[in-house]
Amino acid sequence: MDPLLLGGLVAVATVLVLFSGVPVAVGLLIVSTVFLFVFDGPRSLQALPELFYGDLNSFALLSIPMFIIMGSAIASTRAGPDLYEALERWLTRVPGGLVVSNLGACALFAAMSGSSPATCAAIGKMGIPEMRKRGYPDEVAAGSIAAGGTLGILIPPSVTMIVYGIATETSIGRLFLAGVLPGILLVSLFIAWAIYDTWRRGAAGVALSGVRYTWKQRFEILPRVVPFLVIIAGVLYALYGGIATPSETAAVGALLCIIVAVVVYRMFQFDALWTVLRDSTRESVMILFIIGAAGVFSFMLSSLFVTQSIAGWIADLDVNRWVLMAIVNLFLLVAGFFLPPVAVILMSAPILLPIILSAGFDPYWFAVIVTINMEIGLITPPVGLNLYVINGIAPDISLKKILVGSFPFVLCMIVAIVILSVFPGIVTWLPDVVMGPEM
Amino acid sequence: MPPSPRAMPPAVRAIGLVSTVCGVAASLMILASVLITCQMIFVRAVLGRSTVWQTEVVIYLMIGATLIGLPYVQKLRGHVGVDLLPTLLPPRFRRALAGVTLAVTAAMMLVMLWYGWEMWHLAWVRGWKSETVVAAPLWIPWLFVPLGFGLFVLQLAADLWLTMTGAPMDEKGLPAIGPEPAEEF
Repeated sequence: MDPLLLGGLVAVATVLVLFSGVPVAVGLLIVSTVFLFVFDGPRSLQALPELFYGDLNSFALLSIPMFIIMGSAIASTRAGPDLYEALERWLTRVPGGLVVSNLGACALFAAMSGSSPATCAAIGKMGIPEMRKRGYPDEVAAGSIAAGGTLGILIPPSVTMIVYGIATETSIGRLFLAGVLPGILLVSLFIAWAIYDTWRRGAAGVALSGVRYTWKQRFEILPRVVPFLVIIAGVLYALYGGIATPSETAAVGALLCIIVAVVVYRMFQFDALWTVLRDSTRESVMILFIIGAAGVFSFMLSSLFVTQSIAGWIADLDVNRWVLMAIVNLFLLVAGFFLPPVAVILMSAPILLPIILSAGFDPYWFAVIVTINMEIGLITPPVGLNLYVINGIAPDISLKKILVGSFPFVLCMIVAIVILSVFPGIVTWLPDVVMGPEM
Repeated sequence: MPPSPRAMPPAVRAIGLVSTVCGVAASLMILASVLITCQMIFVRAVLGRSTVWQTEVVIYLMIGATLIGLPYVQKLRGHVGVDLLPTLLPPRFRRALAGVTLAVTAAMMLVMLWYGWEMWHLAWVRGWKSETVVAAPLWIPWLFVPLGFGLFVLQLAADLWLTMTGAPMDEKGLPAIGPEPAEEF
């Protein structure tokens, strides 16, 4: 059969199987097994467990559970509210200080914990009631936290970026750096929108006035937020300094985060530690299972010549590279509506990356574009997890208001994608300066 | 409300317990890889000695944790999927769909178990060793493949039994689990 037609069949089968509700990893294994059996003969199935095992047989994968433990340990403490309070006390004189400190706290906490829903919960529990109390409209309060939470997968360290790095064999350190300036760009866009929207809704007067804090109040909170920030900074420094590999630095970071959680936040009970470990195990096993299955899936695609044919076909089409990029974006956006970021990246990377590279796009720039698309999926129905978290912590704000509040932030992200397309240097400049130009 | 443990047959309860034990084992393996990696860095950076076995052992622990963790993550409903269709269906169809997906998942895992067993058996009979300084017998890490998939099949069978016998279900049609899985500890 023509590999291109086969590719179409695989795509249809994958969509149908996944929509039945089977776990993503199992769905990928089922599609791979059926297609290998039919088009490559029953003997090819013997390789299944070896392929699965082979994809997990890598020291680089250790960084995934390690960064998850770091995030989970931080999220189990009061670090989120503390961070929020610290920023609030320090930024109170800045116009729109409360929005700035909320989104800033989201960005920082998201960076530390790497988890979107955890960020929404941690910052939102304090931030949303406080914003409403000071007269911010419900839409702004809910939308800014929902959007702020998505930053975790873009700002380093990010598990999504690690998975992209593993799936595409790109440098994780470089990917982390690539996310920094686009992350700042997104936060700035979010803050600008939140302040404008507040003003537009006629709440500027209330919102822009700040509460005064004494210097004592400002300093007394620092000891509680600084330790985690120092650990994250240390981990990233060791990573970029080339002192150790991402897996090694992350393991040290994970141990330090557990120690800080116990010492600074007095998490002595066995239960609390077990919760951290259990949640990390659940998340890690889920991701690693998809990684093993995605390895089998991409083997199937290449052994049936689907990957090569699609890349060749797209090259022959000779479409404008930006039209191509727009189509890829649309695909990622739709996939992100239904699937978690890690699953989308693992499934699509083996097919998309050769296409992107042959069209002359930078793989690190593309990583950032993919990630922003995935962020949009986190605050859009039907599986926009953040929306439901916000709904959970502020049940009196209707889901409709949360959606209305979040939608402009989706537009901010699309604007960011356009800006990054026009100025790709925003992505590539920092990695080039810190790690030297790519070979 | 999830089914009270007393209403479940002993086999389903036993499988649940085995899955939890697997989860604890997987967690400990992940924790062990944290500590071993830190020890490795200490030996290399502070003591200035070269390290031999650590990297390989950590990789085996990760593979082991992933496979042994499968049944526990199933028990916690932690394997993500596209749950749009199940949530849209009326309860009766939702339960039927969950039954089908559980059965298909179990069938797929049986295929992995079968070939995984063959792979392990080959390594065991022929005494294959890893091509490193450690020269670890490969049957040890490879054992996790049939073991993990086999235990996963058991947990799937238990969930399938609950689905078929009309146990209360969650919004995805799977048998509902307690509000706080940690409570059993």
